[in-house]
Amino acid sequence: MPAAISPTMERPSAQPTAPALAVSAAGTAASAAARTIIDIDHVDFFYGPSQALHDVSLKLDEKKVTAFIGPSGCGKSTLLRCLNRMNDLIDGTRVAKGSIKIRGVDIHGPQVDVIELRKRVGMVFQKSNPFPKSIYDNITYGLRLQGVKDKSRLDAVVEKSLRGAALWDEVKDRLHTSGLGLSGGQQQRLCIARAIAVEPDIILMDEPCSALDPISTSKVEELIHELKKQFTIVIVTHNMQQAARCSDQTAFFYLGRLVEFADTRTIFMNPANPQTEAYVSGRFG
Amino acid sequence: MAPPSIPPPTTAPAEAAPTSAAPAGFLANKSRFRLFGLTLDGCIKVFFGGNAVVAVVVLSLITIFLFKEGGGFTGQNRANLEIYRRAGLEFVDFMRTQVAGHTALTRELSELRLRQFNRLTQEQKLPPAEANAALATFDKFSDQFDDAVVPLRRLVSDLTETATAIKDKFAINENLSIARQQLLAEGKAAEAEKIAVKPVDFEAELKPLLAALPDYQKAAADEAAKIAAALAAAPALPSPELQARLEKLKSSARAYVNGFPEVEKTLRSWDHRQPVPAARAFAAFVFGREWITQSFWQDWYGILPLLVGSLLVSLAALCLAVPLGIGAAIYVNQLASPREQRLIKPGIEFIAAIPSVVLGFFGIAVLGETLRWLSQQSWLSWVPGFPYSERLNVLTAGCLLALIAVPTIFTLAEDALNNVPRAFKEASFALGASRLQTILKIIVPASLSGIISAVLLGLGRVVGETMVVLLCAGNRIALPDFTAGLSVLTQPVHTMTGIIAQEMGEVPHASIHYRALFMVGLVLFFLSLLINWLAQKIVRRYRIAIG
Repeated sequence: MPAAISPTMERPSAQPTAPALAVSAAGTAASAAARTIIDIDHVDFFYGPSQALHDVSLKLDEKKVTAFIGPSGCGKSTLLRCLNRMNDLIDGTRVAKGSIKIRGVDIHGPQVDVIELRKRVGMVFQKSNPFPKSIYDNITYGLRLQGVKDKSRLDAVVEKSLRGAALWDEVKDRLHTSGLGLSGGQQQRLCIARAIAVEPDIILMDEPCSALDPISTSKVEELIHELKKQFTIVIVTHNMQQAARCSDQTAFFYLGRLVEFADTRTIFMNPANPQTEAYVSGRFG
Repeated sequence: MAPPSIPPPTTAPAEAAPTSAAPAGFLANKSRFRLFGLTLDGCIKVFFGGNAVVAVVVLSLITIFLFKEGGGFTGQNRANLEIYRRAGLEFVDFMRTQVAGHTALTRELSELRLRQFNRLTQEQKLPPAEANAALATFDKFSDQFDDAVVPLRRLVSDLTETATAIKDKFAINENLSIARQQLLAEGKAAEAEKIAVKPVDFEAELKPLLAALPDYQKAAADEAAKIAAALAAAPALPSPELQARLEKLKSSARAYVNGFPEVEKTLRSWDHRQPVPAARAFAAFVFGREWITQSFWQDWYGILPLLVGSLLVSLAALCLAVPLGIGAAIYVNQLASPREQRLIKPGIEFIAAIPSVVLGFFGIAVLGETLRWLSQQSWLSWVPGFPYSERLNVLTAGCLLALIAVPTIFTLAEDALNNVPRAFKEASFALGASRLQTILKIIVPASLSGIISAVLLGLGRVVGETMVVLLCAGNRIALPDFTAGLSVLTQPVHTMTGIIAQEMGEVPHASIHYRALFMVGLVLFFLSLLINWLAQKIVRRYRIAIG
């Protein structure tokens, strides 16, 4: 069914059950010759009359972690939410100019099914938001929406996703208890497991650790390292150390404009723009 | 018992000396305002606390009043039932039941004739006169069956007069003795002496009644014989369907006749001196199927027809209001544009502002007529219960009550939906759910207990509604006929609220009827209490579930 709706979007692995970790071997090879997966091209974005993004252009590589940093209100979250069109849910928002292409397909194109887009581009939110359902039902929610009913397949996906989110050992004995009974850090990892259960290509993370304690934060950061073997990750963060630790590339935004985009090392050690340097060294923002 | 190590108080000022001295008035800006010895804060506290106390006191006064006024009912109803027994009314009613059984059979018989007649005139196209002629044997059988009960009916009617006379005598005596006691209380002993109260000698008065037992035996035997003869001579009906009905009627007639010895046994063992237990007086209220007041024969205060009427009307109202209210809430909260929201929400909430008497008026003048007209359209004849002829019935009242419940259900359900964190919705969309999937799988389940309590509070609103049901439910005090299936909804009923509004103004204070109405009020009170309690309980659970 997904192929019928957006025939031009091709999936890297046609089989959803393809071994996840097999990719890791190819991952190192791919990183050498990174392919662009998201192409943001001169995007202007408006909330009603006020412009939130000014002429942003950015090319994100496949199976890399890209961090968006910048002071509050600089448009980094807005751009992130453009990538799976979550801004559609807010009345009066529009991309006035430019285009966003994922694997070469314009996501605002007339033939694109937004539901299909969101299956390919998963999202983890700032505040953990498991559904008031059991852990098992939380993870299988996305698959069940797609009509998967096969119990053994669902079981397999639950285990795989929870292992992928480094949560399996903690919750394997209480899969059928409420997801709201977990600790904050566990809830956030449950949300990550839920997002990877539908096997997206890209995972967007909107300040995933801002509500977590340092130990949970480090767990999620380790997880991001693991996940990038299989997924392309875009992460918005306020935490400069986090951006430095987890990301391969970093984009610095200020007042709705992209100020600088480069390898993380470059941004933090040798930024080209004085504004960037001022921000990463904590002199403003 | 201070330990010796603590320095004596006289040294304290010396120790305090090193701290810097406070300027005059430091920390001493306390208000000097006093009213009845209370500070301003105290006054405010007393004011708000007083308001809360008034609310609680009023509520408990109402409860106490309800219990006080309704409380005497069981005793009075017991007296009522006791005189029913002692004056022999009960005795006569046993026979009357037998006559009523015969009447029911006769009614079935005449319906059978009507069907046969319709068959002859419509299917075989006979003119009415010929059809009547063809039914001559059936009529003869029917007349014979009819006649069987004549002696018994005559006997019952004679005995009715006797029993009524005894009861009247007792009532007159009661009134006289009350008047006498009043005079005595006022200190007018001489006038009181003039009123002669002779207690009724039930033993003697009942003699003619009990003496009628042989007459009953004769009448019953006569009836049994005549029915047997009539049944033996029953004609066969041409259509198998009607014949089957006739056979069924015959077997119920036989069962009816077989019940005669039981009636006789009851009559023989009947004793007017047997006391009526208080439990029976109470049960007669709770399980009583009849509400008959100001009757020349016997008053019955049974709540069942009213309770069933109230529940039936409320249920019909909920069936309409729940989909409407919840559907509208989901639409407004999840799907509507802000413009539509601004339009629909006040619109629905405005319905709550319509006075219910206006709704009732609308129900009589417009809705009742329209529904009846619709029910008589041939293309709607497949609807169960259609066509019907009573303009005011459960359906009419239910439709209007639904209108009253919709704003309550809508507003509270919309609140419940609104309380679902936005994050759930976003998470669901981010996983590739459509709007409909998100609503059905996430939003509604997450707000389900809120929605259920909205429905319960809507039910509470409907159960307590008075004016609409009084005007539109038809006010027939009888248990609806549930054997009719769904067409029970097109029957007129009376309700608990309706009967209180209708009769309370006209009953004498502290009479049994007055107390019976208070008992109905108590039942209503507890029903509403139960509904509200359930709703609150569910809401509390819901808050915990959302976390």
